[in-house]
Amino acid sequence: MKELMYKEFKLSMHPVPYIFLSLSALLLIPNYPYYVTFFYTCLGIFLVFQANRENRDIYYMFGLPIRKRDMVKARFYLVVCIELAQIVTCIPFAFIRDKFIPMNNQVGIEANVAFIGLAFIMLGFFNFIFLTEYYKSGYKIGVPFAKASTMMFFYIVIAEVMLRVIPYMRDYCDSVSVENQIKQLPVLLLGVILFILITFLAYKKSADNFDKLDLL
Amino acid sequence: MDVLSIQNLNKKYEKFALKNVSFSMKQGTIMGFIGRNGAGKTSTLKALLNYVHADSGTIKFFGEDFSDNEFLIKQKIGFVSGGVNYYPKKKLKIITEVTKRFYEKWDETAYESYLERFHLDPEKKVDELSEGMKVKYQLALALSHHAKLLIFDEPTSGLDPVSRDDLLDLFITLVEEEHVSILFSTHITSDLEKCASNITYIKNGEIIASMDKKSFLDGYRIVKGSSEKLTGAISKKLISFKKHADGFSGLVHTENLPIDGDIEILPADLESIMIYIEKE
Repeated sequence: MKELMYKEFKLSMHPVPYIFLSLSALLLIPNYPYYVTFFYTCLGIFLVFQANRENRDIYYMFGLPIRKRDMVKARFYLVVCIELAQIVTCIPFAFIRDKFIPMNNQVGIEANVAFIGLAFIMLGFFNFIFLTEYYKSGYKIGVPFAKASTMMFFYIVIAEVMLRVIPYMRDYCDSVSVENQIKQLPVLLLGVILFILITFLAYKKSADNFDKLDLL
Repeated sequence: MDVLSIQNLNKKYEKFALKNVSFSMKQGTIMGFIGRNGAGKTSTLKALLNYVHADSGTIKFFGEDFSDNEFLIKQKIGFVSGGVNYYPKKKLKIITEVTKRFYEKWDETAYESYLERFHLDPEKKVDELSEGMKVKYQLALALSHHAKLLIFDEPTSGLDPVSRDDLLDLFITLVEEEHVSILFSTHITSDLEKCASNITYIKNGEIIASMDKKSFLDGYRIVKGSSEKLTGAISKKLISFKKHADGFSGLVHTENLPIDGDIEILPADLESIMIYIEKE
């Protein structure tokens, strides 16, 4: 797996996800739907897959002594690395936003702990839809990305509605005060757990599909 | 020892099927895998390497079952599908840097010497290589991990006659010097005349012959005669025939000889055999 990860970063990785890490700065915009930051992350992942398809990455790997499942596993690790890197780079910007821009976000959730938790869940769903759909064919990326993007749009709408409807979320989760952010920790925890669980299931399903796939 | 043996490989596609494909290869041989476009050459090679899943059949490399030992077996084989057709904008040195990590037996000294021998510049990008050089780069990679069996899918089809000749010479040298075995698919019969010791012929997904080249050639004869000599009895004996201004010519199984009448019988070459077999 070490060799495969080296290959993923050296050959398969596209520069765009690195550049998109800077979009974590979108959290500094006072009024902005902050989930969009992670839409860009997913767009970056899409571009990685597109570049690999054009570069015939799967056919390169087929000449090598690699198990088919491990090809899928390495790509999942790469995707998760990109997503985690985006989340980590969001933290300082969220901190600056909360500390130095004393106004509420008028168009959505604040850049807070609950937001990170909810973003984790969104990324988990993205992985499930985009990756499992992609590994059914090994080359189709457009339709899987369209489906995953539609899901993200509805997820954002539902998350924002929940923020206004569910009492716990309404009272504590749209706030940046330290006291309330501590109360948001269960959302973050739930987000991390769901992200791991959903991504793991997506890997299982993708690897099973890819194993069965005939590459013509 | 058989470096490769395939028994009753079957794979059904929507409009095509590999039917009971069976053949084997001895160490130190060069086997030409021949058939016209669409006969199933690439499909067979892909099934061999698990690109596609066969419906049934057994595949053994070096006496070991491929499905159980895929990882270890792939350390000992080099598969070249055409030239290098991946990562066209990457430099060779980057691709090598990544590729070599996957092989336990990677030999850097050997790699350097192949680069020199094939005049490959590691600073060049894949796209900057000619088709012949692409094949040679693939070869350098395969040989540097001391592959014992090299499998090529139409390595010569994009090459000019000089590069083709060069590559075929190299195949012969590799078998002599490195004791590798080579399986290569082609539809260019002169490749086989030049360097194959064995021939496996595939037609419509079925293997119709797999044997040493001499026996294969000895199995057929070309017959020629004037048009009026082509009687019903003779045409029945022929695999197929063509009529032309001077008369007719056709292919016959040697076992169906002699043919009565004033008919010329000549040794068959691979190209004629292929043309007449495909007309059948």
